Amino acid sequence: MNGKGMVTIQIDGRTMQVPTGTTVLKVADQAGIVIPRFCYHPAFEPEGSCRMCLVEIEDLPKLDLACSTVVREGMNVWTSTPKVLQARKNVLEFLLADHPLDCPICDKAGECFLQDYYDKHGRYASRFLEAKEKKEKKIPIGKRLLLDRERCVLCTRCVRFLRRVTGTGELGVFERSVKAEIGIDEGTEIVNNYSGNLVDICPVGAITDGDFRFKTRVWFLEKGRTVCPRCSRGCNIVVQSVRNYPLSGRQRRIYRIVPAENQDVNGYWICDFGRFGYHDIEDNRLTAIAVNRGGPAEGRPHSWEDIVKGLAAEIRALVDAGRASSLAVILTSSLTNEELAACRKLFADALGVRSIFFADPKPGKADGYLLTADRTPNGSGAAALGFSPGLPELEKLAGAPDLLIIFGPHLLEHYPAERLADSLKGIRRKYLLAAHRSGLDALADIVLPTAHPAEKKGSFTNVKGTAQSFECAVKPPRGCLPEGEILSRLAAELGVELE
Amino acid sequence: MSDVTATLIPAGENSFRLGAYVGRGGYEAARKTILTMKPREVLEEVKKANLRGRGGAGFPAGSKWAFVPQADGRPKYLCVNADEGEPGTFKDRAIMTQDPHLLLEGILLTCYAVGIHTAFIYIRAEYEAIAQRLEAAIEEARQKGFLGPDIFGSGFGLDVLVHRGAGAYICGEETALLESIEGKRGMPRLKPPFPASVGLFRSPTVINNVETIANVPLIFRYGADWFVARGLPRDGGTRIFGVSGAVRKPGLYELPVGTPLGKIIYEWAGGPAEGQSIKAVVPGGLSAPFLTPEEIDVPMDYESLARAKSMLGSAGVIVIGDRTPIIDVLRIVARFYAHESCGQCTPCRIGTTWISKIADRIGAGAGTSGDLDLIRHLAEGMKAKTLCPMGDAAAFPVLSIVEKFGQELGEAISR
Repeated sequence: MNGKGMVTIQIDGRTMQVPTGTTVLKVADQAGIVIPRFCYHPAFEPEGSCRMCLVEIEDLPKLDLACSTVVREGMNVWTSTPKVLQARKNVLEFLLADHPLDCPICDKAGECFLQDYYDKHGRYASRFLEAKEKKEKKIPIGKRLLLDRERCVLCTRCVRFLRRVTGTGELGVFERSVKAEIGIDEGTEIVNNYSGNLVDICPVGAITDGDFRFKTRVWFLEKGRTVCPRCSRGCNIVVQSVRNYPLSGRQRRIYRIVPAENQDVNGYWICDFGRFGYHDIEDNRLTAIAVNRGGPAEGRPHSWEDIVKGLAAEIRALVDAGRASSLAVILTSSLTNEELAACRKLFADALGVRSIFFADPKPGKADGYLLTADRTPNGSGAAALGFSPGLPELEKLAGAPDLLIIFGPHLLEHYPAERLADSLKGIRRKYLLAAHRSGLDALADIVLPTAHPAEKKGSFTNVKGTAQSFECAVKPPRGCLPEGEILSRLAAELGVELE
Repeated sequence: MSDVTATLIPAGENSFRLGAYVGRGGYEAARKTILTMKPREVLEEVKKANLRGRGGAGFPAGSKWAFVPQADGRPKYLCVNADEGEPGTFKDRAIMTQDPHLLLEGILLTCYAVGIHTAFIYIRAEYEAIAQRLEAAIEEARQKGFLGPDIFGSGFGLDVLVHRGAGAYICGEETALLESIEGKRGMPRLKPPFPASVGLFRSPTVINNVETIANVPLIFRYGADWFVARGLPRDGGTRIFGVSGAVRKPGLYELPVGTPLGKIIYEWAGGPAEGQSIKAVVPGGLSAPFLTPEEIDVPMDYESLARAKSMLGSAGVIVIGDRTPIIDVLRIVARFYAHESCGQCTPCRIGTTWISKIADRIGAGAGTSGDLDLIRHLAEGMKAKTLCPMGDAAAFPVLSIVEKFGQELGEAISR
């Protein structure tokens, strides 16, 4: 018997109960039956134009589209009969007839639908004796995106994305017949904050990202899923990087960030601000402990052990002298929930520190879709832990604490450099824990290189209050430690139980 | 010859004027029908007459109208397909030129039956003079109160608008036509939903060919029984056969549905042109599979032509004489579809052009032994696999040419 709103269908001989109104393609996807497609994308209504997903439905005279055919009670679907396989082969033969076959220099090679499907469903000898259609191969369409019309299969995913997701409609189909092509109105370009998604949804190498172009091959990429730290939305992302080969030596390089599907947070997309944040993981990093003034073992390479021991000794001395109140900590909402909890336990609960402040990046402009004004990933997490994030007042900071521990480089964004330098001058010892270089480095006595959020595990709580855990998506550069690791070593040194 | 009086295309210099039409009894059927019959009864009468679509697919008009849902708050539309793009077809232009009011009366009756208050006539750009004539006729009818807010004092209102296309063959496909009226690229829509439920401006829409609608007044002027008796029991009325090509008397012939093709060619169109014999015949517009001279005894109705593995289509008969090399026919056919493919879906976009390139290469004397097999393979790859019927329209004639005239094509290749 069927449950309410369910129908029973057979697909490749398997009987399945599926919801009314769903399509054959969705059922197949859920059942792990692979039906090839170009134009279909789950974010959009079926387009039905590529004709790749044709399947055989018993009692129907013609092959039917899996993407748009809605299931009916008793429907019997076959996805790989000789007729279906022949139709797929036909479509591939058509698409590849005029295709330039420039896979060796195409960024999409290795993750190209056309390439993969030819390998699985094509495998015919070409019978195309005619001259191929020549089209433009390097058309700037805005931002860093380039359009190659010879590779295009006219699935119109890009056109539909810009019409239905961003509503900006920059691209359209021009001309008709075999001359039909994706184009952009003269004098315009793609300027929205979601343009990078066009590269991801292009099933072939027709739209490429100028920043990724020709830099690596996709099969070298290691993929790590994490949460985007660039605003409070918490979009799920995949950081794609190469370690060692084919880079020389023991290098690490991030090549791109792509969205990971999460229907509760970001759907299928991420914004360009988040996407092109992969440079932020690489560029301008602090990778070695720097001791500018004082501290242990001046003049030789500093070990984390010595530094943490030294910091613990300074804290211990203050606490033992009953002067915990002259210890101040400036946190950042870019820390994970686990790190913030550790800070709370260590500084507030165990050591009795009262002066706990926050210095975050200045808010930007929300784009009305995914990007929020809050440019930190974990403001909600900090609030949930009982912190009331606020900047320190410089007058109170000046001369008051003996020891100041600063997390993150953002303090300088809020005060004029000279005033900040003046205020910090009187503080006997200033530690800075940061992943990136900034003007703050010179003002701190000791600078400790930390990990970027993509380089650690933990959780962020997004703008809607959803806590999302993530694993380390890419290993930190040598010499950097996640703040959580530094905190737990420090706690151990001080005899404080964090767990 | 036939004793049937031509009814759809009147003769006479001023036949298109409202006065002349009224003089022929025009608008009386509509007046009587609208004032005395309920819409439902009108629809039943059309069903009884077995009026089938004249555009090509031959769908029963009454059933098509019955698919339109009852009032649900959305407006309903009638779109009259006057795109007449099928090569070999030139009947609708004659109706609209000589008898625009017959079409308008048909529109009026159709809209009354379905409860429609806005009708569009989608006319191809090449018919500019006819479009102007239609607009003038609409104005005449409006002034007489045959169109407008309160027709015949019945309270029923109807506006008719003439919408000009821009010359694309594909806009004769009903959903591409809708897109075009909406101001978009003329490209067919994925079905379902069908236009009867989601059509023009997402509203229920009836789309019929000019000749189909022009037949409606006759059903009410003379009765459904009369109409059926003029054609076949399941396919009522006459058809306007447009005969062109290598015949002595090319032209339009309004004859009963089911008139044999050979009779049309030999008795009406005067047989093959001087000094020629027939090599091939297209029975129903270029998209219909070609027939050989041995096959032209077929009666011109949907079922008989389907049995002969061809189509009645738009009833445009193209006669090809023996002086025409079949490779030239293939090239012209293939080039037409390659040029007119909208480019939306893969098999049609690439398949039509690929076939055209092969045909041109054979024509240029560079054919290879595998070419005919390849053409067949490509056409099969389009057939029944495209988003709209154009894949079939392009594949059918090509497949029939390769199948029936393979020997001559083979000679062209080996020459």
